[in-house]
Amino acid sequence: MNFNGTFTQVMNELVQQVLPSLVVVRGHRFGAGAGIVWDANGIILTNNHVVGRRLPIVLLQNDQEYESRLLARDPDVDLALLSIDATHLTPLKPASVSPRVGEMVFAFGHPWGQRNAVTRGIVSALVSAQNRRGDKLPVIRSDAPLAPGNSGGPLVNASGEVIGINAMIVGGDQSISIAASVARDFVSKTLANQKTEGHAGRRHHGPEDVI
Amino acid sequence: MSKNVLVELSDALADAAEKTGKATVLVNARRRKPASGIVYAADLILTADHVIEREEDITVILADGTEIPAQVAGRDAGSDLAVLKLERAARTVAEPTKRPARPGQIALALGRPSPDGIEASLGTVSAIGGPMRTGRGGMLERYIRSDGISYPGFSGGPLVAADGTVLGLNTSGLGRGAAITIPADIAWKIAETLARHGRIRRGYLGVRSQTVEIPNASQKALKREQASGLLVVSVENESPASKGGLIVGDILVAVAHAPILHHDELFARLSGDVAGKSTPIEILRGGQPQSLNVLIGER
Repeated sequence: MNFNGTFTQVMNELVQQVLPSLVVVRGHRFGAGAGIVWDANGIILTNNHVVGRRLPIVLLQNDQEYESRLLARDPDVDLALLSIDATHLTPLKPASVSPRVGEMVFAFGHPWGQRNAVTRGIVSALVSAQNRRGDKLPVIRSDAPLAPGNSGGPLVNASGEVIGINAMIVGGDQSISIAASVARDFVSKTLANQKTEGHAGRRHHGPEDVI
Repeated sequence: MSKNVLVELSDALADAAEKTGKATVLVNARRRKPASGIVYAADLILTADHVIEREEDITVILADGTEIPAQVAGRDAGSDLAVLKLERAARTVAEPTKRPARPGQIALALGRPSPDGIEASLGTVSAIGGPMRTGRGGMLERYIRSDGISYPGFSGGPLVAADGTVLGLNTSGLGRGAAITIPADIAWKIAETLARHGRIRRGYLGVRSQTVEIPNASQKALKREQASGLLVVSVENESPASKGGLIVGDILVAVAHAPILHHDELFARLSGDVAGKSTPIEILRGGQPQSLNVLIGER
């Protein structure tokens, strides 16, 4: 077996599988974060801290720009859900199995504005972080390097499935991602609220939100 | 998605972390900063000496979460290794590698700095170095350098090959800040001595010396090609060297039949089993080889 050739090919396939679902989210005047196409009909998941006070601009892989609507944001899990008027997008799905310490991970994003960068690492630890409410939030610590611009991008496993949303950089060498299970719950709760209320779930917005 | 080489590698790494993670423990022997250790035998933990800051109230937390009191069975600052004896036996014992680490090889650093679970980082073996003086009066014949992240509390934990066998013990206490790995064969051998005797015996001769070239004529008299030896520039009073008949001006060329070309080699030779034993020391005196029997002291 041409091991090197096979390995390179598989890596390339993984990157090609994930990239179409990676977007740029411009939520502040300066700097930008990343986002994940969560649904083919224009649902984009990103970090709460990537979204500022303006309506975020979403830039797809084909360089098309969209103004987005903010469906929901929650600083306690550092997640935000956006909607854009686009269809036939390529969504990423969360992994069906729980992450394991030692498994390989790939972080996708735009560190320091470098578009579509991929960094490699493993799951270093499965820990819980405490948020402002005192709730325990399952997070993944990895040794894949992250930098500003990675926020909101996916952390995927060797099969290209999302296992986390890249969120924070602690102490320079510790990268934190919010577990995909948290993201899944956040998205399904938001979309369920939307259905019952007919539109943008306004009641769930905090006082700091500008809609 | 079907299993490809990437998924297989990823699974293998997670399996290795899981397998050897069971033999990686938390060592609680300093304030607020737990470190890691390796289950070396059922009731013995091998860890780094510098993470043992107290000799009482030491506990070890196993992979299953049970906390067991432990005592220091032996420790050696020179090699930065310590062996702890558990009051109750652990279930899973680490397996040292049979194939020494090679540059380029994938290696996982494992640690258990918190009771929440095993932690890991991935790197490759960057270099095999040595011998190196540890700056704590010891000598490391060989060491492994790898490029994985050494998280706080990883000292005392294992560097693990992709098959889960232990390549060595990680410590940040020897490399002047940077983490290095003590190869498993060396660490296990020292651990055996520590478990049995409680300390490492280091030989003492009592000479100051400097490296000098050996002239061709003397090499012929020695009947071997040895480029250098150690010129004795002072002998301490009442020292093993003085009692054994060494004098200033002698060129030391071999200890216990092993040629000595540099200080490091003398140091390494004296760290072995020669302490307290009458040992043949070969010198050049007036250009001619002689052998003296010296009763090596202990530091």
